[in-house]
Amino acid sequence: MLDATQASKNVASVRDLKVHFQSKRGVVHAVDGVSFDIRDGETLGLVGETGCGKSVTGRSFLRLLPVPPGILAGGVVSFRPHGPCAVCEGAGCADCTNTGRRASGDQPIDLLSISSENMRRIRGDRIAMIFQDPGKALNPTLTIGAQMSEVFLQHRSAELLERASLPPDTSGAVRRFAAQEPRFGDGLILKFPPKRGQRAKLQVALNQMVTEALAETQVPNPVKLMDRFPHELSGGMRQRVMIAQALACNPDLLIADEPTTALDVTVEARILELIRALQQRRKTSVLYISHDLSLVRRICDRVAVMYAGRIVEIGTTEDVFANPRHPYTRGLMAAVPTAGTARGKLAAIRGTVPELVDPPSACRFAGRCPYETAACRRNDPSLLPVAGDHSVACFIDHPTGSQVAPSFERVTE
Amino acid sequence: MNASPKQETAPSEVLLSISDVQKYYPIREGALQRVAGHVRAVDGVSFDIRRGETVGLVGESGCGKTTLGRVVSGLTDATGGAVHYNLDGTLSQIDHLQDRQARQFRRNCQMVFQDSFASLNPRHLVIDIVGRPLRVYKEVSSGDLVERVVELLEQVGLGRQHLYRYPHQFSGGQRQRISIARALALNPEIIVLDEPTSALDVSVQAQILNLLNDLQAERNLAYLFVTHDLSVVRHMADRLVVMYLGKVCEAGETQSIFDAPHHPYTRALMAAKPDLDDDRTGEQVKGLDGIVPDPARPPQGCRFHTRCEMATPVCGWEVDDVVRWLEDEPGMFEHLSGVERQSEFNAELAFDSEEAAAKLSMAIRSESVPAAMKSALKRLNLKGHKVDIEFEAVDEVQLTARDGGRLASCVLDPAHVAEKSQ
Repeated sequence: MLDATQASKNVASVRDLKVHFQSKRGVVHAVDGVSFDIRDGETLGLVGETGCGKSVTGRSFLRLLPVPPGILAGGVVSFRPHGPCAVCEGAGCADCTNTGRRASGDQPIDLLSISSENMRRIRGDRIAMIFQDPGKALNPTLTIGAQMSEVFLQHRSAELLERASLPPDTSGAVRRFAAQEPRFGDGLILKFPPKRGQRAKLQVALNQMVTEALAETQVPNPVKLMDRFPHELSGGMRQRVMIAQALACNPDLLIADEPTTALDVTVEARILELIRALQQRRKTSVLYISHDLSLVRRICDRVAVMYAGRIVEIGTTEDVFANPRHPYTRGLMAAVPTAGTARGKLAAIRGTVPELVDPPSACRFAGRCPYETAACRRNDPSLLPVAGDHSVACFIDHPTGSQVAPSFERVTE
Repeated sequence: MNASPKQETAPSEVLLSISDVQKYYPIREGALQRVAGHVRAVDGVSFDIRRGETVGLVGESGCGKTTLGRVVSGLTDATGGAVHYNLDGTLSQIDHLQDRQARQFRRNCQMVFQDSFASLNPRHLVIDIVGRPLRVYKEVSSGDLVERVVELLEQVGLGRQHLYRYPHQFSGGQRQRISIARALALNPEIIVLDEPTSALDVSVQAQILNLLNDLQAERNLAYLFVTHDLSVVRHMADRLVVMYLGKVCEAGETQSIFDAPHHPYTRALMAAKPDLDDDRTGEQVKGLDGIVPDPARPPQGCRFHTRCEMATPVCGWEVDDVVRWLEDEPGMFEHLSGVERQSEFNAELAFDSEEAAAKLSMAIRSESVPAAMKSALKRLNLKGHKVDIEFEAVDEVQLTARDGGRLASCVLDPAHVAEKSQ
């Protein structure tokens, strides 16, 4: 599928991913044959309207889909986790561009077929996610400190023991505390000497790790923040906590699902700046899901435009925004009001997103497309390159043999 | 549905006038529900809406823009001030209207809500929803009702086939169209649009905005367009009112505000959301630090001074600013045991130890404190474990007229603001 050199540059690649949902009216093809790569250290934007399958694609990386009614109908999401850099052992050197991480030579993992046990190890550690609504994604019954600690207890118990200057072969209740696998009676054992001191040491080390993670996101007074509950914080602050939690284990891939949609514009700008700064420093790859084109243009290296469960256009941000090839991409861009558009003259895309119950074999955008021809209704365009990195799924650029191909010129005349 | 005689009237005629409107919500506490204070959602706002024009009302969440929209449409009573409506040529205060006039006002002032799912009754069919105002005001006989509703639905791009459906059978854009059809049913003069497109996708938003513009041109409607999206308001509004924490901080012609914002807050809002065709993509986009202050205790002087990057010593620095700053400083707020206020500008901060008090008086002179706050400080005395602080007392910053018919509430010269933000 991929040659070796290309494969080594991708942290994850999705091939022909199909996620369907069983509903009363039939099988909804929410994601229907999506393929793309996420390269090392890049920010890939995934844009599209509501219901086009962008969130489902993002969630399938972590298998956060309800099955049933969801059906993983096919495809591969392969992911190559990074290990600590062999040269500097995680301290950061020129070889690993100061990230302390390096692609391991291992075979990529197929995230859709590994066991739940292995998936849990990857979630939050190698792949992390920031959700749209931080008010819902944070646990309202736990303090910020308590829920931040979970990440470290789940994935960093060895480091925790080391920081608390306990031997790595510590066993029993203390070990179980550090790995968050409590057993009946552990609470009592840890309450009294001789284990009480060790538990206190662990707690100090844990608090220190949490404070450091929170400080990364420039929250004022992280120590005080740890004792607060999510409802006491503003939206922007909650989202910072979410980001701190997601980046706590220095993941290789961060999936950001509309992280600023619930925030005010002034706060949004700050959060974006923060995500970008942290991403550039740690060279984490980011899959940035959004419906906001101006925002994607600002922070992404490459953009994939999704429509009705398919990727219709993918390319570098400059290419896609300067020279959009797919009629849907053009339509989306024209629909955003800017300084130049005359009042009442917004170029709206007619119609609505089609229902994805048993879709026919045709271009999904046919019916709304101003450039549509008979060929669009009979054949399904596939995503093919137009120039370099820029690919598009449209018959305008890839005519099908004998059929009359649509063209931009024909209609714009 | 014919063009009404209203269209002949002069475009400058004032349709609705808001003068010094306040809306306070009481904060109750204790077993007796004693009123402990007020959340000042809207705190003295004045502007006019003329026939056939669109006034955009923008601001962050919590600035009181939705509350003001509800006061204007008569859904909530104002605590102070008044809304006057032009009824047959005379401006009448809307909460003093009697029977016939009250009905006349209500049918002429309609509202479209943000959440189209919550504002349409899920148990009613479209014909009931859109036909209800017509029946209440006895506009049509029951025989003509269906035809009138179809006519209205066709105006908003729906049709006869949608008459006998429930709201859940429609998409978000279609539901918003139903809301608009309902608002249009009685041929109103003004519609309050409370974030009508913020729940919609851009392509659908474009359809709705075009529809609203067509309807306005056809019927000479006035809109009060409440939104937080500047690109939408720039596209739609003739005049713009920017609100912050219950007060207007800038008002004027949309184009002139976008060309040269006078208030630093307006400037920050615009800088945070550049246009899609704006080519300065590489540049860092500036946001605002901190959160919107508590509207129950709005800051003195200029309400924006706590977050303003060009704040001066005369912007209204007060004791609360010191307390807020202490909260964000590690290891300081824990030692603060009490604040004894003489006024908003003068107080004694009590600490639990003398070292902590000394540490504060040192820290307040350090670099971590905004320079403007330091120079506004009139007196700082260390008395044992207490610190006595006094700032220059400052009056509230008023909206002042600027050139080009603009209003802005900022102590700074606009040229200075523009220069500093470069």
